[in-house]
Amino acid sequence: MLFNSLDFFIFLPIVYICYWAFLRKTGQRNVLLVISSYIFYGWWDYRFLSLILISTLIDFFVGQAVYNSNSVSKKRLFVSISVCLNLGILGFFKYFNFFVDSFLDSIRFFGIQMEPSWTLNVILPVGISFYTFQTLSYTLDIYRGKLQPTHNFISFAAFVAFFPQLVAGPIERASNLLPQISRTRVFRYNQQVEGLRLMLWGLFKKVAIADSLAPIVDDIFLNHAAYPSSTLLLGAIFFGFQIYGDFSGYSDIAIGTAKLFGIELMSNFKFPYFSRDIAEFWRRWHISLSTWFRDYLYIPLGGSRVKKILTIRNVFIIFLVSGLWHGANWTFVVWGLLHAVLFLPLFFLKSNRRYLDTPNVLNSVHTFFSEVPRILWTFAMVTFGWIFFRSESLGEAVHYFQGMFDFSWDSYLHPRGYRMIDYFILLICFVLFEYFIRKDERNPLGFSHRSIRWASYCLLMFLIILFYDDGVDRSFIYFQF
Amino acid sequence: MAKFIARCIFFGFVFFLCFELLVRAFHLHNQRPIRYLDEQDVEKWVPHQEGYSVVGNRRQNVGHYRINSFGFNSVYDSYRPKESEKSVALIGDSFIEGFHQDFDNSLGQKIEGKLKSNSKVFEFGYAGYDFADQLHLIHSYSVLFDDMDQVLIYMRFIDDLERSEYEVSSRLSLDTPISRLAKHFKSIVYLKDIGLLDPVTHAISKLGNLRAKNRVSDSTEETESDITFARIQNFKDLVDFYDYDKSKNVLLVDYRLCPSEFLDFLKENEFKTIDFGESLARSKSPTDLIYDQHWNDHGRELIAKEIANYLNNFD
Repeated sequence: MLFNSLDFFIFLPIVYICYWAFLRKTGQRNVLLVISSYIFYGWWDYRFLSLILISTLIDFFVGQAVYNSNSVSKKRLFVSISVCLNLGILGFFKYFNFFVDSFLDSIRFFGIQMEPSWTLNVILPVGISFYTFQTLSYTLDIYRGKLQPTHNFISFAAFVAFFPQLVAGPIERASNLLPQISRTRVFRYNQQVEGLRLMLWGLFKKVAIADSLAPIVDDIFLNHAAYPSSTLLLGAIFFGFQIYGDFSGYSDIAIGTAKLFGIELMSNFKFPYFSRDIAEFWRRWHISLSTWFRDYLYIPLGGSRVKKILTIRNVFIIFLVSGLWHGANWTFVVWGLLHAVLFLPLFFLKSNRRYLDTPNVLNSVHTFFSEVPRILWTFAMVTFGWIFFRSESLGEAVHYFQGMFDFSWDSYLHPRGYRMIDYFILLICFVLFEYFIRKDERNPLGFSHRSIRWASYCLLMFLIILFYDDGVDRSFIYFQF
Repeated sequence: MAKFIARCIFFGFVFFLCFELLVRAFHLHNQRPIRYLDEQDVEKWVPHQEGYSVVGNRRQNVGHYRINSFGFNSVYDSYRPKESEKSVALIGDSFIEGFHQDFDNSLGQKIEGKLKSNSKVFEFGYAGYDFADQLHLIHSYSVLFDDMDQVLIYMRFIDDLERSEYEVSSRLSLDTPISRLAKHFKSIVYLKDIGLLDPVTHAISKLGNLRAKNRVSDSTEETESDITFARIQNFKDLVDFYDYDKSKNVLLVDYRLCPSEFLDFLKENEFKTIDFGESLARSKSPTDLIYDQHWNDHGRELIAKEIANYLNNFD
């Protein structure tokens, strides 16, 4: 079920009213959350509900076993079982064909020909990367002594399958979400309003920004050989906005929906395109994933507290894995490595934690001239990386780059003939608006004056309608990951 | 919770009002004239309606229409052919009706501008007209069409030969009392036109229209040649029934949309035709609008040239 579908607009009010009006006890509400989450997921393909159930059962029992084990070796054994089973399922559905193909390609390089009879027609279950990581974090936190296991299976099932963030995150930690699910939830008016605001803002980013740019991006990437450099540059920039609008829009709707049920999810995006270097970008982009890798991979590997060469290895590993997490394709691997290469100089210069505050380019002339070029440079580097991310293969990405450096110019016409100026104006206004609200990503429309607030709601809804395109595929990009 | 839901409903109402105002202020909505069935059982637009046909979310295409006293979109308020001038009737579907362009820049006007003699082109375009509708119109208003020097009939083989006899179409059911009421809410008209209400209408039709599904599956069993044969047979039946005047009537066709069997049939039986498909195919710039399948200004210009050449040579 998509957030931007009629099904969801019927589903959500029904669940919402049952949740707050008819059910009083936390246990009953959790049962409703589990049932509604399974319906939400099963709407796409009910067969894959079994995977969620298996994942839930494994970690529920392994979590308790880890906690109850007296010896470290036993704890390790149980954690290994959880990791192997979870990553085994993920690996099979997501990476099986990729590794088989890559293996066959590599032996072909040495002149050995083998028929690709091992590849299977595997369907990638929606959201598998997200809920697998979420359940894993539960067991790992128990192993590291940061969390006590829950004995309530329904609460745990609700934590794993909580529908707002089930299919595309934020990847929640058990330490944040599970206690909220276990305790009594109270209806708070302000939280509900904030939830709706976030949902509206997310819907705007998804429909008006991401979906409206999608036909342009698809056209440019599909026919990149026929377009001049200026158009290819436009395609890369638009894809940057498309993926940001799509994914951060999803996250905002997810966080907003969770608020409607009295649950606070972690922030996933903090205006990443205002980052002044790559390190800051990764503190602002897909935060739930980058912090997951930091906590469960980078730090266990030694982080930056080991020898320099090992630290470099660790940096490369997390960026490589983060690339591979997005999909079974070498383009994602290169994308991850590119970010690692951009990050390392900052690390060596010890300036990777230089920007921890919000950019204030309008504060003074000095900050304007020092911060704006950095923001533009970071945006340019990130956009550069998006070409790998968006391309179907490395060859296509290389061709795209070659085309970009032809330095040819021509005007671009929208594939469906819409006025391009509309999109430029929309994006400029979007960037300016994001700049003004940049200090609080969780309350984007919380203006103090009621009239301004209501006007902004109306304006956003109007823009959603004005830029709605009924010809595009309305699913979210990150569903495929 | 009650306060929260009440406020949401109140906001929804305020938004709807603001939205209605904005849609009206910027004229984002499409206007569509009202249909009716005249005393001859000919389907037309109610006379003397004027408005703007708008396509797209952001007014991507706007056409000014004016329905004359006879019930068609035209620059002429009435159709009175004079003996002193050459009169040409142009009959067709939405391509001839031309709501996608201003009524004073129609195909008929373009042809008229290119004709050598003192001529007038009277347009009889109505969206959805097929060959049966067209011949029924000529038959019903034979007095008027007898006064015409030439009658050009625009026919799309793939759409216009689905039936062998005329009966009043179901198009009139589009103008239900509910749809007429809904037309007063410009925001609803706008949302429906841009497809935002499609999921709702699809869901409703999905629930209630299983019969239509069966009908579609039946028709897919026919082969391409069966369909072509049936269409040619329908054409024969219609021209026989309405006593088609081969000396006056000229078929306006796009050869790209016609199978060779049909073109051969027309040639063998000496039906006069004007084929504009070739000049459209030769054009280096687009001949269709981007937002729908109708001809753009350039396309109309090419077709008008083709028709005017034919008529001038005929003189």
